Amino acid sequence: MKILFFTGKGGVGKSTIAAASARQISRRARVLVQSLDPAHNLGDIFGVRLGNGKKKISETLSLEEVDLQKLAREYLERETRVLGETYRYLQVLNLDSYFSILKYSPGIEEYALLTSIERTVNEETDFDYVIFDTPPTGLTLRFLALPSVTITWVDRLILIREKILEKRHTIQKIRRPLKEGEIPREERLKYDAGDDAILRRLRDFRVNYERLNSLLQGAACTVVLVFNPDMLSLRESQRLVEGLRELRLPLRLLVNNKITDRNRDMAEKVEAAMRNTAPDVPVEQVPLSASLYEGNETVLYRIAKDLGDRF
Amino acid sequence: MKSPVFRFLRELLSRLHDSHREDAVALTQVEMQELENIFALLVLGSFVGLPAPPSFLAVELLPFMERELKIMSRRAEDAGDMLAEMCGTLGID
Repeated sequence: MKILFFTGKGGVGKSTIAAASARQISRRARVLVQSLDPAHNLGDIFGVRLGNGKKKISETLSLEEVDLQKLAREYLERETRVLGETYRYLQVLNLDSYFSILKYSPGIEEYALLTSIERTVNEETDFDYVIFDTPPTGLTLRFLALPSVTITWVDRLILIREKILEKRHTIQKIRRPLKEGEIPREERLKYDAGDDAILRRLRDFRVNYERLNSLLQGAACTVVLVFNPDMLSLRESQRLVEGLRELRLPLRLLVNNKITDRNRDMAEKVEAAMRNTAPDVPVEQVPLSASLYEGNETVLYRIAKDLGDRF
Repeated sequence: MKSPVFRFLRELLSRLHDSHREDAVALTQVEMQELENIFALLVLGSFVGLPAPPSFLAVELLPFMERELKIMSRRAEDAGDMLAEMCGTLGID
């Protein structure tokens, strides 16, 4: 399975280009397009209403709009349930209201996004291509950075946890072993790595995020950056290129979108600057589409050149 | 059948032995509790204004951290009288 991320500043036409590529690729392979942008417009582009779950547009093309708010809520509800079972005596403190605050905590939305991507990649194995239409730059960079940031934290925490278990082991060795049926007067703590729920969970995290990171940085993944012929879009795209480079994510195509006869000079200038920023990445030019619909059918994704050939 | 005196002496010796062992582990135990406190502070640091890991990591580990939470809150309570705490740890009366 190949994974494509379409990124760029808000309003540059990420969804349109993602839709166009999806339509083109779907002529030869099975494609799922998933919109992760909170301001969905995938349905508008294809002229269909998307509700919950996937919608089949043709034999080889399916669409889905992900509800991030719902994902975050589901995740927190799941965790609240586990917490409620563990800290039963704390239920008088009204955990629900505490967790409604966590919803606004930084990182929850990114985590929900990443979990959604992970689930799609693991479960939608019937598709040859999964195309993600991402949210605007800031959020995209943050959720793509999440696996690396998490691995750094998890590594440090694993080190401390192992040290704690080592100390527990030392203490246990000095104390005499318990006789059959003897109840110790002091608290005897588990010291085996396999028995420690926290260490187990941390190691699971590590394996999981390591896998996700290598998937995102691997050959099966492609990041496409869409930009417009204007200076604001250029600046933000340059920052995005830097960010992707730092995260070692594979930027494989730049799309100079919405070119018209009037802005051609600017388009050339911006494109030259982008080529400078990302010298090894090819650039495709896409002209501005004048209308959204022709009769009942949308024409936005009818881009003359087959962008899908690139992937 | 062993005599009660013999049993008593045996129990006394065993208790004495245990007490020596507890003396030997006391400092390691304090060190371990400090590590557990640091672990809790790192994971749940956002509650007290420390740089924190991604929130979901704290939320995921929270169900298993009852012991660390207790140690952290006890340490926070004792933080006002560090001298007494140190004296207690080192066995100074």
